[in-house]
Amino acid sequence: MSEPKGRRVGWTEESGERGTSERATRQADVSDRHEAERGALSETFVEVRPGLYRDSITLMRISRGLSEHDGVQDALTAMATGLNLDLLGQLGFTAPPDAGPNDLVVAIRAADEMALGTARDLLDSLLAETPAAAGLQDAEAPARTIGAAAARAAGGPAPPRLALVSVPGPHAFAEAMDALESGLNVMIFSDNVPVEQEIALKDAAAGRGLIVMGPDCGTAVVGGAGLGFANAVRPGPVGIVAASGTGAQQVMCLLDAAGVGVSHTLGVGGRDLSAEVSGRSTLQALAALGADPATELIVVVSKPPAPRVAGLIREAARRLTTPIVFAVLGDDGDVPGRAGDLTAAVAEVLSELGVPVPDWPCWPAPRPQRPRAGALRGLFAGGTLCAEALLIAADALGTVHSNLPGWTPGTTGHLMIDFGDDRLTQGRAHPMIDPSLRLDRLADELADPECAVVLLDVVLGHGAEPDPAARMAPLIGAAGDTAVVVSLCGTPHDPQGRDRQAEALRDAGAAVFASNAAAARHAVSLVEA
Amino acid sequence: MTLPEPGLGGLLTKDLTVVTAGTPLLAEALAEQAVPMVPVDWRPPAPGTEDALAAVMGDPRRAAANAKAVGRLLAARPRLVDVRPAGEVLGLESGTFLHAGPPITWDRASGPMRGALIGAMLLEELARTPEEAEKKLAAGHMVLDSCHHRRTVGPMAGVVSPSMWMFEVADGDRRAYCSLNEGLGKVLRYGAYGPDVIKRLRWMSEILGPVLRAAVREHGPVDLAAIMANALQMGDELHNRNRAATTLLCRELAADVAEAGFPQADLADVLRFIGGNDHFFLNLAMAAGKVSADAARNVPGSSLVVAMARNGTDFGIQVSGTGDRWFTAPAAVPDGLYLGSYGPRDANPDIGDSTITETTGTGGFAMAAAPAIVRFIGGEVPDALAATRRMYEITLAEHPVLQVPILSFRGTPTGIDITRVVRTGILPVVNTGIAGRVAGVGQVGAGLVSPPAEVFAAALDALAERVLRP
Amino acid sequence: MRTPVAGAASLALRHLLDGPRRPARLIAVFPSAVYLEVRVPDEPRVLAVVSSDAVRLPNATVVAASSRLQPFGGIHDGDDAFIGEGLVDIVSATGVPRLRVRVRRWWDPSPVLGPISAARLRHGAVTLEGGMDPGRFGLRGHPGPELLAARCAAGDLAHAVDAAERIVGLGPGLTPSGDDVLAGLLLALRLLGGAVPGGGTAVWLADWLGAAVTAHADTRTTSLAASLLHCAAHGEAATEVAAVLRGIAGQEPLRPAVRRLLCAGHTSGADLAWGLHAGCQAALSLSQAPQ
Repeated sequence: MSEPKGRRVGWTEESGERGTSERATRQADVSDRHEAERGALSETFVEVRPGLYRDSITLMRISRGLSEHDGVQDALTAMATGLNLDLLGQLGFTAPPDAGPNDLVVAIRAADEMALGTARDLLDSLLAETPAAAGLQDAEAPARTIGAAAARAAGGPAPPRLALVSVPGPHAFAEAMDALESGLNVMIFSDNVPVEQEIALKDAAAGRGLIVMGPDCGTAVVGGAGLGFANAVRPGPVGIVAASGTGAQQVMCLLDAAGVGVSHTLGVGGRDLSAEVSGRSTLQALAALGADPATELIVVVSKPPAPRVAGLIREAARRLTTPIVFAVLGDDGDVPGRAGDLTAAVAEVLSELGVPVPDWPCWPAPRPQRPRAGALRGLFAGGTLCAEALLIAADALGTVHSNLPGWTPGTTGHLMIDFGDDRLTQGRAHPMIDPSLRLDRLADELADPECAVVLLDVVLGHGAEPDPAARMAPLIGAAGDTAVVVSLCGTPHDPQGRDRQAEALRDAGAAVFASNAAAARHAVSLVEA
Repeated sequence: MTLPEPGLGGLLTKDLTVVTAGTPLLAEALAEQAVPMVPVDWRPPAPGTEDALAAVMGDPRRAAANAKAVGRLLAARPRLVDVRPAGEVLGLESGTFLHAGPPITWDRASGPMRGALIGAMLLEELARTPEEAEKKLAAGHMVLDSCHHRRTVGPMAGVVSPSMWMFEVADGDRRAYCSLNEGLGKVLRYGAYGPDVIKRLRWMSEILGPVLRAAVREHGPVDLAAIMANALQMGDELHNRNRAATTLLCRELAADVAEAGFPQADLADVLRFIGGNDHFFLNLAMAAGKVSADAARNVPGSSLVVAMARNGTDFGIQVSGTGDRWFTAPAAVPDGLYLGSYGPRDANPDIGDSTITETTGTGGFAMAAAPAIVRFIGGEVPDALAATRRMYEITLAEHPVLQVPILSFRGTPTGIDITRVVRTGILPVVNTGIAGRVAGVGQVGAGLVSPPAEVFAAALDALAERVLRP
Repeated sequence: MRTPVAGAASLALRHLLDGPRRPARLIAVFPSAVYLEVRVPDEPRVLAVVSSDAVRLPNATVVAASSRLQPFGGIHDGDDAFIGEGLVDIVSATGVPRLRVRVRRWWDPSPVLGPISAARLRHGAVTLEGGMDPGRFGLRGHPGPELLAARCAAGDLAHAVDAAERIVGLGPGLTPSGDDVLAGLLLALRLLGGAVPGGGTAVWLADWLGAAVTAHADTRTTSLAASLLHCAAHGEAATEVAAVLRGIAGQEPLRPAVRRLLCAGHTSGADLAWGLHAGCQAALSLSQAPQ
């Protein structure tokens, strides 16, 4: 490059330090700049580069780069238009007389020659710079709302049909409504969603021919895919409508053990059969499964519905051609097809289908467990499994304390504790994900001389912890005289492997049952009257 | 949209693809089962907005209202039909001045806004000196009103006085107006009011306006939507880059200008003036935006933004479902590149009605069409693509006419939905010029700015109020 | 050891995947599918591992990745494969792991259609015909398919078998056109015949025709096509075919389902559609003939 024409005045002084402190130095310079300008002692450089064209934005970037440079007081890099030459004049530079609009004019005023020199080096490198070949990276950032995600995927080969919402409860409504408006069904895993929002969502869904599963819906299976906590069951003829997640898991797993598959399990949320929500999703699910040719029989798994809702469900069931079996815990006989417990309900399903009822899988304890005096302590992760065991225990043992709704809590005597209770999960994950609290309690119970039998559930499947037996078995192995009974809800295809888990727990000394009711009855039988 | 499918939209019979929002644990469980997923990068909205969001999201009118409102916006076909003086076309009386942004009083007005008002006083000969003009304005003798209240938009200070000439843009019977662009350098819209500025304004009223009027009348309505669509494919985004659109307009009107029946020297001046100002079309893009956005106003229940505007002090928005109410908050200083040795300390807070472009799917929203513009923020081309793509997250529609070639001719993201802004925390991206904070300095730079988040939350509250207590 | 990729397997593959680990032969690798053959007595013997955007054959194990992500990128002809114990394992001849798929769930390739009226079936057949693209039909101009269709519609099993045997393995590629036509025909006869009143004859025809064409399929056509014929004879369909059958049954919109089917393969979709249509016509005419 030829030596540029330039004009230099003023004096020279060593410039400020470089390196890591450069940025701080420059900032100090900004505040000192006016002072320096008043001093009028500076190096000035004006140059014309004929015929060199850069677009205005490049030039503004260069100007900024130069003015941020150490020791530079003013800098202008621009095409030498009349306007820009005026600006040059206003900045106190002398405009070169021979510059025209097709020429590039560069003007720098720096505190000293050193700064000016480095600024000119910078100028040359900035002018020589060609934009980095960044390329058109086509990676699109993930969508930020369900509506946007649905819109993006709508034209694709597999358009979404379901949204799984697990954002904190207060935010679930907006996402769920967005999903419905995008034509998606919704499963709301989140809890703490106000009931009026639940009703509004379910009405909006019904108006669009869609379903809202939840809020607080932990389990669903759609076309073989498990959502939330769900077991790997084979496809088959039984459709399940579930207001209870672990209840549905128990039914699915027992059906699988009998060689019967599941078409779909549609969760509806624990409140759906309340008087307020009035079975909105249950009715929607019944209609959908009733119209599904792959579903030959429907099981409704729930706690007893509100009486008026029971009437609605009965009426809906009457209109379907598909037979329905109700697996209603603590049923008061108000709905047809009643079953005493979930295992009995599954037996009823099997007889409807003409399939023989098998001996439910069990893995007897390596050493025979004998009845002894003392208390039964049930420690459950699944609320419905807890409720089922509680009904069986209360029937046989009389007073049992429990934190389940409608029961009296207690700390002595026979206890049935649901560790999935909202009050016990605050600030921590569900016990099916994080077992610590329940394991601590298990250790306490095994050390309690009053405790004769501990009854535990272990729920396997997608979403649950990867190897529950790993931490539970050592505690059981150290149990001493206390009998341990495990209700194991899972299938051989679950990621944790039912049989592997059963064997590990059995080898540690527990009696293991695939049927929760059978586990509860066995545990009760170990308590000496 | 195909036929509604029986059985929960095909949920029970079709392959399952799941959109997931929330805890990654559940998405991982799906991945382990080979279930195709579309994950949402969900983040909690600003605290305190939950109730208003739930109320507005739960409003059964909203989806239809938004479809209606944005449908009207997209259906607009703006045409330039006339050029006339503001006094005549807006019924603007002497002593009344329109300005950009939400309404403002002299005492709160920024430097460039005050400068422009002073200049307009001088232009209208309501004062002989700037000092006299300032005194009269400060004394409250003059009437100030928002451009938006008169179907008008104005760039930067956006000051309109009776003798200024206006573009008249029509969509059917609807009209919108914008002044003529003065060019670059020291201009009134940046608050400059020196003798050159006033002289140019007088020339614009005496020659430019009348010549353009004759040319437009001779030509017949000019299809602005067609020019804008073309310009977008030629690298404009129609806010900070209007070079292609200006050129196309020149080409469209040149013959009619030649035949306007004015002295040849005047005609040459006019063509030279337009041709020498890359931003000449901006004011037409703005009027086109205004006439489109106004079509979407006053749809009950709609959460669509129908105006974003700044007066140099406040940033204000209006929403279709809340009528003409402004939601305002202090305007931010744009982040960008500065001319010469100007820097952020020389910059005025964000100013001008030109955000009507972003309101209607151009400007920052069409940044992917104008890769050159992205370098204002020190970014590169992928940033431009990302900016436009990000705006799809907060808009209701894709513009059927305005398309972005590099996004496979996808329509520009159009129609800002306040619920989506609040839910995602993504703010509209605005391309803008930066005015000097001292009256008379003019433009000091250009860059990017975002509206203050509070205005969207406030509008949402007001919309929620209307749902809960209609 | 390579971390397994999750897969969703067709129930038709249960005997292969739930069984003991057995060596398999790598038949072919494509960007969206890998075909593996196991020497077992029971069909299907060929297992397809497919990407999420591939045609979902009735013998497919699907992985969640789309072909754009090149899930089968590292696999080459000559690699070794093993199937069983819930896994599909592909390793290089020198033992370098290429792909390991663990079956995490099952999908059912047999669509359940429920009762269909003759009127609906007729309407479905007309809609299907209207959506077909004769220009893409792989056997256009060949007399075999028409003859087969006519013999089936007449309920003439003996001549239908003759006509069918003339097109087994007819056509180029991994799934010759003739086999696709036969698969479509068998599926429509069995599934629609089972759903329409008086459809017993169509199902009977499907039983015997299916038995005839599958008896020697492994010597007459490619092993993949033979496996697919076995699936079709059992009423197991590709997802795209099942969608058309459900569309005919009124369970979902038919026209889009036909359009999607036609997009499958080079001529496969059009060939399957041709066979489905012939099966519809036959099921209709047989259901109305005196029993």
